[in-house]
Order: sequence, then C-alpha cells, then structure tokens
Amino acid sequence: MAEPEPTAAPEHARARAHGPLALRLAEPAPPGFLRLSHGDETVVALPAWPDGATPSVLDEYGVAPVPVERSGETRRVLAACLRVCWTDLSAEPWPGVPAEISDVLACYRALTGRGDDMTRSWALGALRRLADTGWILRSGDVVRLGPRCATWPQESHAVLRELVRRLPGPHPADRRPDGHPDGPAGAPATLPLQESGPGEPAGDRPPGAARDETSPDLDGLLSAYDERRRAELVAAFMAVEHAAEPVHEARFAALRDPALRRTLAEMLARRGRTLIQRRDTWTSGYDDTVAARLTGGPGGKAGLAEGERAVLTLVLVHSVAIPRADGLLPEDTWLSPYPVAVEELRRRTLLPIGELESALRALRQAGLLTQVKAVSEEAPGGYVPGPQFHRLTAAARRRLQEELILAAGPQTPLAAAIRARRA
Amino acid sequence: MPETLDAALTDEAVLATYRRMFAALARDSGAVVDDPALVDIAETLFDAFAEAGEEWLTHEQMRYACRAHPTDRFENRLRVLRGLGAIREVFPKPNQLRYRASFTSVVGLMFIRRMMDDGGQSEMHRLLALEDLNVADPRTTMEEARQSAGNLARAFRLWALELITLTNGTIEELREQAPKLWGTEEIARRAQSLHGTILRRWPALDRTCTELRAAIYAYSDASRRAAGRLADSAGTTRNLTLLPAETWRTFAQTAPKERLAAVLDGFVFDAPAPWHDPAAIATAVDEAPRPAPVRPAPPRSPLPDSGPVESAGDGVAGLDRLAAVAESALAGRTAVPLEEVLTGDWASMRRVLADLASADLRPELPYRLRWSDGLRADPAGHPSWSSDGTLERVTTDG
Repeated sequence: MAEPEPTAAPEHARARAHGPLALRLAEPAPPGFLRLSHGDETVVALPAWPDGATPSVLDEYGVAPVPVERSGETRRVLAACLRVCWTDLSAEPWPGVPAEISDVLACYRALTGRGDDMTRSWALGALRRLADTGWILRSGDVVRLGPRCATWPQESHAVLRELVRRLPGPHPADRRPDGHPDGPAGAPATLPLQESGPGEPAGDRPPGAARDETSPDLDGLLSAYDERRRAELVAAFMAVEHAAEPVHEARFAALRDPALRRTLAEMLARRGRTLIQRRDTWTSGYDDTVAARLTGGPGGKAGLAEGERAVLTLVLVHSVAIPRADGLLPEDTWLSPYPVAVEELRRRTLLPIGELESALRALRQAGLLTQVKAVSEEAPGGYVPGPQFHRLTAAARRRLQEELILAAGPQTPLAAAIRARRA
Repeated sequence: MPETLDAALTDEAVLATYRRMFAALARDSGAVVDDPALVDIAETLFDAFAEAGEEWLTHEQMRYACRAHPTDRFENRLRVLRGLGAIREVFPKPNQLRYRASFTSVVGLMFIRRMMDDGGQSEMHRLLALEDLNVADPRTTMEEARQSAGNLARAFRLWALELITLTNGTIEELREQAPKLWGTEEIARRAQSLHGTILRRWPALDRTCTELRAAIYAYSDASRRAAGRLADSAGTTRNLTLLPAETWRTFAQTAPKERLAAVLDGFVFDAPAPWHDPAAIATAVDEAPRPAPVRPAPPRSPLPDSGPVESAGDGVAGLDRLAAVAESALAGRTAVPLEEVLTGDWASMRRVLADLASADLRPELPYRLRWSDGLRADPAGHPSWSSDGTLERVTTDG
C-alpha cells in the first residue's frame, strides 16, 4: 500500500466496549466510523463495517450471532418504534421523528392484541434493552430511533418499509385514508403515511441531521485482493467479531489460509482487536495494549457498574476457581460447565439482593453470563461465565487469574510472588 | 499391594513423612514401618479401644477389629505396639487377657496426621503463639529466651533450606510439597513480633536475635521464590489450584462489593450490541402471538325463532308479562281459587301455574299464592286432582 491509512484503534475499541462514541458538535469522527448527527447537540459515531457488510452475513455461513435476549419481543417493540417514529417512508428510517412512548405501547398493543399489564411491562423491558444497546434513544416519555438504526443497509429498507406499512397504528381510529391497515404489499414505496408524529411535521429529516461515513480504514488492506478473497476476508472479519462463539476455520478461507489470516489480523489490529485461537477455532478480543490504555484512561471503568463487576467476580470464583481448585477444570479457559445457583449468590454473599437481580440481567444481556436451566436435582440451574470469556487473550486470562488470587488470598506467598513480578 | 502407580506414590509420600518425623528417634533406618497398612492397623486398634471404653479389649476382640488384615501382620504389629508400650495389659500380671491403649500414642497419631496435612504449618503457628506467651511471662529467664530464639532460628533456617532445595528441583515435587512448606505472611509476622519482644526485654540477646531475624528473612524469601517459580511454571491453568477451595469460598462469602468488583477493574468487556436484522424484525412481527380470536357463535337453526327475547327475563318486560297473566286470572277480583284459573289442556295449565308461581316469588309484584291442606280428587275430571290454592292480590298500602 502506498501510504499508511490513518487508523483509530483506541476509538474503535472504546466504541466496542462502551457503545457509540459521543462527539462534540464540530468534532470529526475517527476513520472507519459512521458519524451521526441528530441536528441538535447529539453527535455520535459508530464503527462502520467493511464493504457494507452487517452481522447478518453470519447467517450465510451458518454461524450463530450473539443471542438477543427475548429476541421476538424486543424486535416487535422495535417494529412498533419504527411504526411511530418513521413517518416519512420515502426517506431512510433514521433519524425519523420523536414519538411518545404511549404511542409505541399502543402500537405494540395493537400488534399483539394484548393490553394486559404483563404485556405492558414486557414491552417496557424491551424498550429498556433497546435503549441500552443504542437502537432507540429515550428521554422521559419520548423515544427516537437510535444510532444503530442508521446501520441498516440501504437495500434492506424495502423490507422495513413493507413491514411498517402493514403494522397497525397506535390509534385504531387513525387509519390511513384507504382504511386498510394491511395495505397492499405493492404500494408505491414513496407513499408517506398520512399521520404525523406528535408535534412534528412528517417529511424531511430534522434540520441538520446527517449521516456521514468517514474514510474507510480497512480498504487499503482489502484492495490488494480480488473480489472473492475480499469477500472471504470481510466474512471472516464479521464472523470473529460478531459470532457468539469462536468459529471453526474450516468454514472460513480467511482463517485457514495463513496469508489471508495475516491480513485479517491486520484488519483487526486497526480496530484495536486481535485474533484468538483455540485449537481449530478463532475469535477476536481486545489487543492487550489497547485494552490497557482503555482501562488506564479516564472513564476506564465506565463499562460495568460496580455491582455488576462484583457479581461477575462471584460467578468466576464459584464456577471456575472452585472447580479448578478441586481439579475438575483442567483447561485454560474461563468458561465452565459448573453453574453457580442464584441462591448461593443471594444467600451467601454480602451483595444487596436488589442489586444482584439487575446486575444478573445486565450481565446476561452483555453475554458475560449465561443462564443454565436446571436439568434435574443433581444438575440444578444457575449461571456460568458467558461467551464473552472466549474473547480473553492469553495475557488477559492470566491476569484475571492473578487478580483473583490477589483478591482472595492477598496474604499468601502466591500473591507475594505475583506482586513481586509485577513490581 | 497398591494397585496403581498413583496409589503407590501416595503411599510412598505417607511413609516419607513418617520417616522424617521419627528420624530423630529411630535407632536405625529400618526402624520405621515400610507399609502404610501397618499404620492403619494401629489406627484401627485405637478406634476399637475408644469404643470399648472401660471394658478394654481382649486379644480376640483386637483380632476381630483388625479382621481386614492378615493374622501374621496383625500379630507382628501388636507385638511392636506392646513392646513400645502403646498397648498394655490392664493389670501387669501373667496370663492377663485384657489390654488398654496409651493416651500418648493416640495423641501422637493425631499429631502425625496433622503434620501430614499441612506440613507443620499449624504446628509452627501454635509454637510461635506459645513462645510469644513464654517470653512475655515475667518468670522467663534470659537463658530460656535465648534457647527459644535459637530453636526458632534453627527451625526457620531448615525450613528455608528445604524450600530452596525444592525450588531448584523438579516442578512436580515443588507443586506437591511447597504449599505445605511455604509460610504465610502471618507466620513471618508472628515470628518478627516474637523477635521484637525478646530484643526489647533482653537487649543483650541482640546477637541471637540477629540470627533469628536472618532466618525469618531467609524463610520468607524462600517462600516467595518457591511460589514465584510455581506461578511461572503453572501458567494459566494450575495456579488457581494452589489456593484451596475453602479460601475461594470464604472470599466469595465475606468480601464486600468493592473488593469483589476491584478484581475486574482492569478488564475490558464488550458493551451489549445485538444486531436486529430487518428480516428478523419482520419475522418477529409475523410470529407475534395473535390476539385471541373472537369466539364464534354457536350454530343457529335456519327456522325463524323469536329467541330468548320473549322468555321471562329479568327485565321490566318480564315483570309486566307476569303481572298481566296474574291480572287476567284475577279478572278484577282480589282473590281467585286456582281451580277456576287452571283450565284447558295440560300445557296451558302448566304454563299459567308456572307464571303465577313466578309472580308469587317476585317480592316486587303484589300477587301471592296461598295453599291450603285440602286435596280435591275427581277421577273423571280434568285435571283429575288439584290442591286447594288461591291467587290473591295483596295491597301494600293497606
């Protein structure tokens, strides 16, 4: 490549660890980002995927993506948000217009035909999850489509348009003029809905809203390859970055072929990531130096709340450290088949119970914990470390073990040896 | 005979501990048992004695308690234990048949087991605690303190030497032995406090104390080195096994939230970022649980049917109809015998009687049926019998 492309590994790592980057109004986004400005104070940046790929590419390879908690419900609520926020179907879904939460709930009610309290609280739970993950923005009683809605590729908008057209609106009386909520599928794509969001005229984007892709940071690496290899590289990139579990190299040419794998590693490095191998399977994790900079800097602990980190530590102790001390878990991994019962966490720790429940929920949602269903009396359910623990580098795995020893047995010579080596 | 190599190694480790412990007392190197089963015999016997209580045990009873072991071994063992005084006759007379066990030997065996478990760590703790009390005792002389400090220094130095040898040996042996030998900071701290006490009380002992201090430092250093080498060699899998499960449990149960959370301070995890593909959203909507369908009406007869509208309902219309029936029966009178009213065919009689009975049961209507005990029979008539009854209009204002 002629000249080195500008890269922004730490920013990419930060966006992966803490969600979309918040930028100042005039601040440009780093390379490889999608810069989204709502026209008000809100400017955020999301990592852009190479060659317009999305995690949907995993389906083509039969690789499971990160599981979505209560996926059906969450997606139906997102559909309800689209129905009320995306008023001008001739435009792109994002940014849409702000809408009242009550309208979203009414739309969801019409969609499911159920108005009971439980349905309502489920819908509110889904709204919270969508807001936590950047799919919607919520302030008080108003929702807007979140930055992640801007990552739907252009060609998939038709599906959404068709979907929104056949969804019932929030007000039963408030049908489209043809009186046909299930409008014909072949309706012209430019037909706008005749209702307007509360307080906002339907139509153009709010003034100043903009969606800009910055200079692609991976093109320089990809351009040396023909179309097929390029597609293989992108597929492998998406797979190691977004699959729930490590992927087998037999499925991805870019993981099998050492030369391609090298390029893949360079692509990942530009995003602050590194390849992690375990036998014939591969995944990606934070590059150790990038991670160190991330946690050392300001707001380093912003990822997980204190209670969440405490619960995660407890699960690691019970389902990994103790089985390993008993000689049951010989391998170098932080995943484990030995779940810790919620009762154990609830009764025999110093954690406040209320905090425990919400921490478990957040950790589950992030793939840091996996809930195991009870199979029998001998195999009661509980929690084990989640798929994110596949993504720890060897150095991180070692450090995690040392941190646990330092915390659990600070007086032991082992701890002294660890401190001495670090000094 | 040990059946596996592992079992053989375990047995060898047990014997090695015995040999080391009694080396100071043994007359020659063959004086210590060479089969762990022999210790088991002794232990089984002591158990049996403890259960037997004041009855003590006869030779047959002892043999029975040790029935799992071959006779010649049992006899051999019993001879040794009797020779050393661990098991004695209850009364020192010839032909004595009952035996008792020695308290000292039982305690000794307990001590051996404990030494095997933790390599003497807890003994060292106890010893240090006792010495601490001793040197604080006003009756203790300087000579005693010197001896105490000297003994401790020697123990620490030997302990350190063993650790150093282990550290330079094979990693397997180190992993096996070192955790029993290396000292916790607690032991070093206690030893230093003891050293401080002695030095303050008898400044003249500074030479002895310097030696003690050097021995403590050597021991701490050797512990750290051994742990360091193990930590290095163990890599990412074996280290956690070096803390006992109990330590982990205590940590999980007693650590406050901040301490638990601090473990993960330096780690970066991914924020949740699920992907909602447009097609998946559409699928989710299509698979939405449908509203419960409206229950279809039961099939109706195609013939015209005035339906339930005209039946005696609860409504005002129903009451009006009952009043009309009663009034037509009364025909302006205030009372009328039922035999006058119930005429015609069975069906019409039954309908009228039912309506009048309904009117009677309606407190808001002013019609009552009064029945008397009489029964009129007329085999030729129609109806062939009837009860005496009267329909009356009651006046509420009267």
